[in-house]
Amino acid sequence: MGDELVFDVRLARRDGFALEVKAAFPLAGITVISGPSGCGKTTLLRGLAGLERFDAGTVRFGDATWQSDRQWTPPETRRVGFVFQDAGLFPHLSVADNLAYGARRRDVTQYGAIVEALDLGDLLPRAVPGLSGGEMRRVALGRALASDPAVLFLDEPLSGLDHARKEELMPYIGRAVAEARVPAVYVTHSRAEVAALGDRVMGMEAGRLTGWAAASHWLMARVTHASGSTIRAEVIGAPNEIEAGVSLPRIAEVGETVRLGFRAEAMMLSVAEPGRSDALLQVPALIADVDGRPKLDVFGQIMDLPRGGPHAIGAQVWLSVLEISPRPEASDSADSRR
Amino acid sequence: MTVWPAIWLTLKLAALTTAILMAIALPLGWWLATTKARTRPLFEAITALPLVLPPTVLGFYLLILMRPDAPFGGLWVSVTGQTLAFSFSGLVLASVIYSLPFAVQPMQTAFAAVPSSAMEAARTLGASPRDAFLTVALPMARRGFLTGAVLSFAHTVGEFGVILMVGGNIPGRTRVISIEIFNAVETLDYATAHVLSAWLLVMSLAVLTVVYFFNRQGGARLG
Repeated sequence: MGDELVFDVRLARRDGFALEVKAAFPLAGITVISGPSGCGKTTLLRGLAGLERFDAGTVRFGDATWQSDRQWTPPETRRVGFVFQDAGLFPHLSVADNLAYGARRRDVTQYGAIVEALDLGDLLPRAVPGLSGGEMRRVALGRALASDPAVLFLDEPLSGLDHARKEELMPYIGRAVAEARVPAVYVTHSRAEVAALGDRVMGMEAGRLTGWAAASHWLMARVTHASGSTIRAEVIGAPNEIEAGVSLPRIAEVGETVRLGFRAEAMMLSVAEPGRSDALLQVPALIADVDGRPKLDVFGQIMDLPRGGPHAIGAQVWLSVLEISPRPEASDSADSRR
Repeated sequence: MTVWPAIWLTLKLAALTTAILMAIALPLGWWLATTKARTRPLFEAITALPLVLPPTVLGFYLLILMRPDAPFGGLWVSVTGQTLAFSFSGLVLASVIYSLPFAVQPMQTAFAAVPSSAMEAARTLGASPRDAFLTVALPMARRGFLTGAVLSFAHTVGEFGVILMVGGNIPGRTRVISIEIFNAVETLDYATAHVLSAWLLVMSLAVLTVVYFFNRQGGARLG
């Protein structure tokens, strides 16, 4: 606990692109680096993994120094699990041998839980060239996790897939990361992926980090029913007389916890009860004062307000959510242990 | 006149040349496919030179190089006690240079087709650069290796001009099939020329068919 990925690095390219970043990422949960295409987020991730070398600066991972003036650790000894945009699978090996590639080199013999969390069992004997795009991404994620990484780096792992495929894969990522109990750094420009997966979000623009962005638009819910391919989850803390349940695809089982992530644009506050609407979830909430800042209190769960407008502390409001990005949480408890 | 010494000599020359060429083409093809050095086009051009130069020009320069009073030829004599020109060793050296592009270019193309993410994935999964080369790049480029080897072999079997320039025409030592055919025709021995020509034709066709068959099959079956 208390481990961080600390970096202060610079990189200049011949085409004029310059990267100058400094930050400390907590090694817990999923840290998202979000920014427009070409802002340098992939370059930053590759540099942190040792796939590229920063011109100058230091990178420290917990107690280990990965780069300094005197030292540079090659990628094979950093224990970073890297998931590439194009998956980067080994086409000459079967799915099982792809998974075993890293595991064998790091003396990992047990990774059945990862195979299970990603539904890879049926794919194991298959050849890589016959896999669908979504299957390839799952195998790539499984291969990275099976090598027992100290941290997982994901470089836009869902890019190039259609919307339905992304929706299908996001819960897999959440579940696999929770299952492997590995901290992750996730690069994306998709707000849906931020809402579904991010525990915190660092913004990036034109080669510079722009600071932590409010990302805690989520509520925890417990699965109460499961039937076929859908489940029903109730927001934790909701009193019995209030309807606070949502229907979700079957990403978790009865009794397990899921995180309901919301994009700020898909949240709406109203001062009176809105009545029946298209909203997927509609719950009463309170504008609470948390360390001098207005936050939203939903049945005791505190979250950031969707936008910064004036909100009277103590006001009773209704929160309507038009879109939900669910993420399965670790089975025994929600907090992260390494 | 028996044709077997020429056939045996040709096969020996082609096999040895191919073995040496693949040992050179493997690192050279990898370097050309992956280097960011600005001198790369120059090295690519040098490698491709034997494709463009007339065999006589290449053979002429090689002959000059192999003369015992030239620095390289002299060095060879002092080390081995034999002259390079008009010897089997000289033929091998000439063949290696003459067929270099046929070995290097398929390898370079195959290595260039290995996605960088696959190599980088191997590194992040704990493989050293050497390990990643042997377990990812090489297996993925094996068709290029096979193509390069087969083309080098076939091209060496078929060469004439360079051999004539540096090797002369010594029976059993430097007289390969193509030269033997030339001799046969010169002396109006069409029967021998027919036998040897047919032999070359059938063998070349067989070799190329094998190459194209494997190329069509895709990589999965070759491992």
